[in-house]
Amino acid sequence: MAATTPPKVVFEHEGVFIHSSPDESEDQDLISGFLRIVEKEGETLVEYKPLEDADPSNMLCACKDSSSVVEWTQSSEENPHRPVDHQLSYETEWDMINAVSFRRKVHANGDGGSNHVNEQNKRAFSFNVCDLRSVTVKCEGWSYLTFRLKDGTALPAIHFHQGGSKAFLDSLRKSVQINESPDDESVLIVSTYSKAFSQSFENLLDDTNYGFVQQKFKKDPYTTTLGGFSKVTNYLFDAFRAPELECQQRPAEEVADVLGELIPGLEINQQEEPGFEVITRLDLGPRPEMQRTGPVTMEEWAKYQDLEGRMTNLPHLKDAIFKGGLCHAVRKEAWKFLLGYFPWSSTHEERKLLQKRKTDEYFRMKLQWKSVSEEQERRNSRLRDYRSLIEKDVNRTDRNNKFYEGLDNPGLILLHDILMTYCMYDFDLGYVQGMSDLLSPILFVMENEVDAFWCFVSFMDEMHENFEEQMQGMKTQLIQLSTLLRLLDLAFWNYLEAQDSGYLYFCFRWLLIRFKRELHFQDVLRLWEVMWTRLPCQNFHLLVCCAILDSEKQKIMDRKYGFNEILKHINELSMKLDIEEILSKSESICMQIKSCKDLPHSVSEILGLNTVSEPSAALETSEYGILESPQTSPRSSHRQDHVVSNGHSHLKETTQNGCKVAFIS
Amino acid sequence: MSSKSSLLKVILLGDGGVGKSSLMNRYVTNKFDAHLFHTIGVEFLNKDLEVDGRTVTLQIWDTAGQERFRSLRTPFYRGSDCCLLTFSVDDSQSFHNLVNWKKEFIYYADVKEPESFPFVVLGNKLDVSERQVSSEEAQEWCMESGGYPYFETSAKDATNVAVAFEEAVRRVLSLEDRHEHLIPTDTVNLHRKPRSATQCC
Repeated sequence: MAATTPPKVVFEHEGVFIHSSPDESEDQDLISGFLRIVEKEGETLVEYKPLEDADPSNMLCACKDSSSVVEWTQSSEENPHRPVDHQLSYETEWDMINAVSFRRKVHANGDGGSNHVNEQNKRAFSFNVCDLRSVTVKCEGWSYLTFRLKDGTALPAIHFHQGGSKAFLDSLRKSVQINESPDDESVLIVSTYSKAFSQSFENLLDDTNYGFVQQKFKKDPYTTTLGGFSKVTNYLFDAFRAPELECQQRPAEEVADVLGELIPGLEINQQEEPGFEVITRLDLGPRPEMQRTGPVTMEEWAKYQDLEGRMTNLPHLKDAIFKGGLCHAVRKEAWKFLLGYFPWSSTHEERKLLQKRKTDEYFRMKLQWKSVSEEQERRNSRLRDYRSLIEKDVNRTDRNNKFYEGLDNPGLILLHDILMTYCMYDFDLGYVQGMSDLLSPILFVMENEVDAFWCFVSFMDEMHENFEEQMQGMKTQLIQLSTLLRLLDLAFWNYLEAQDSGYLYFCFRWLLIRFKRELHFQDVLRLWEVMWTRLPCQNFHLLVCCAILDSEKQKIMDRKYGFNEILKHINELSMKLDIEEILSKSESICMQIKSCKDLPHSVSEILGLNTVSEPSAALETSEYGILESPQTSPRSSHRQDHVVSNGHSHLKETTQNGCKVAFIS
Repeated sequence: MSSKSSLLKVILLGDGGVGKSSLMNRYVTNKFDAHLFHTIGVEFLNKDLEVDGRTVTLQIWDTAGQERFRSLRTPFYRGSDCCLLTFSVDDSQSFHNLVNWKKEFIYYADVKEPESFPFVVLGNKLDVSERQVSSEEAQEWCMESGGYPYFETSAKDATNVAVAFEEAVRRVLSLEDRHEHLIPTDTVNLHRKPRSATQCC
């Protein structure tokens, strides 16, 4: 790779891809390569070279049992200018201790792959920056750039699946001036000056997300009416229920029995007493429509950072993240703050020290399981079991994602090692199925073993209870969800209960791993970052459940689904959900509840609405789109309530058959 | 009788990673995905089939295998007509755990006559070359445990999968017939209380 007279590499980034076919088909090949800016004899060249290995995820190669920190943008010898990373220097130290090598697998195919290499090399290109006319920047969850030369040649789009497009453009700016085209903000014209390229990331919110934003907030009068007379509802549904469905539900009430015992707070009413009852019904008032905005771009993010690296104007920043999420390029940094790995108020310096300390700590723990001999492991059944399950599950986690696909993909090794190290971090909990689902997106974003580990630790702090022996977290959440659903939609709640589904078992997977299996990978990233803002209320994820159920209830009730069919229907929603629609609906529901004055105590408790000075109050005014000047908080000082709740009818609850779920307080 | 037999509930039990979901998917959809996610929670699929001239709907339940999820898995055991105890022939631990799975099932499914309950044993991953459990060993266990039918399957290449599920159905149906002969009154479903309970409404 190195020429006889070594050129000066001013920029290098691996994990840059060319898609073999220009269309968006799923099964196209990704050709992995590296992009460089090279200064050579007074000229600046941009070079793209595919890696000579067939494996597209060959950005890194840790040896199978490496203890080293894996950094995707592995420093290479020809690149003396790459800033030295703490973790890389640590890697060397630990490498000495563990005698584990860490190298780039460039010639892994050896002689066998020569045809392939030739094929790959056809994709290589190099041009002088003087010949560059424009760069088109597009974003699809990741950024991709298309270079157009002055002679009209358009080079194949370069996809930055591992981030780095901004760094590349920044680096390019040092050689040429680039400016946004007046006609199309995603096109950067070379040789004039501007910094506004990242505006183009605003295009990230693709059309598909908006396709479903048409909300159906109008409450169906049929169910609303029935809601007041839940027993009538149950009676009617019982009467209408098709006989053949009946036979599909036979184990239901027995299952409900057992689940009822299992979840002590949840009393599922098995009685089928006829008769009317007066049910507490709170008029929640209309549900306001909430609009989502575009994701926070790198440039916007940077504006929130002071010179020493402290994040400023947090309420505003979090609000922007809640409203639109983050551009993929921002995630790697921003998630560390959102997850609490980095304190918002820390400086660059402090974070460097923190990372250094945390790297040390990580490897101390990693060494613990690494250094267990076979003999020792034979006598340690728990460790053995954890390891066996982790190995199995790592092979079954997100294997369709480029980051984890193929045999011996480095991503798999990292996933494995981090989970094993987590067992050492929390041996009591160890590994429980579902944890690999929680780690996978974090690792995908962090692209770094140590950072991913500590971010995962933070996320697990929140999710821990879900996985504990007694699954207390799951039980609590199911009860809380039931409480919320009952307030929001009594008719539906009653229906579910009549189908022995009042304990909402079918939401188990949603709650255990925070919708990880329900949404497309990119949408999981969006949902999680939105949730991690802790806006606009506590337990927002429960409102996300309510929003999804709200969209499905009509189908479930119209088709008179019973216990089994409800479970099946909910399971089959997986990968069919629209994240932006769900998020805006969840927020709407939150606003609707917040504007209600006579909320049951249990509900305010769940959503944390009791505190007088609510940090999330800012949200109600967040109708601005792109944040122009975060430093001077454009938030209007006066707030106007969206919804004037009218005519709360708060009837006293009758004890007879009334409350079927014991509200927790 | 025939109308009552229209739905049979079958449950797949066994250690994590032995291939329960893959067996179910192979049988119902005739597809195999080596990288299928591990199951979280409980899922089921229905399949209509005809066995010896009788049409039945097989409802196959698939659960998460890890010990931790026991409390959320076991409620679904009730009302099962048949239990498929599954292990992987390349994992001896999963074979040795069959006895625990059987115990767990009998306890939580509230099986009244465990001796006559139709268990079927599946040794999956026949396609894998490194076996840890021999055919003989597995057959011996099945014989000693109550004469259970044993099938060596491969969800990957579809070996014996349909045969095994069909055998499960046959077992259930023949047991029902036997009961019907033995007890001519309308108390057929002694061991299957849930079904009769729901059907009468």
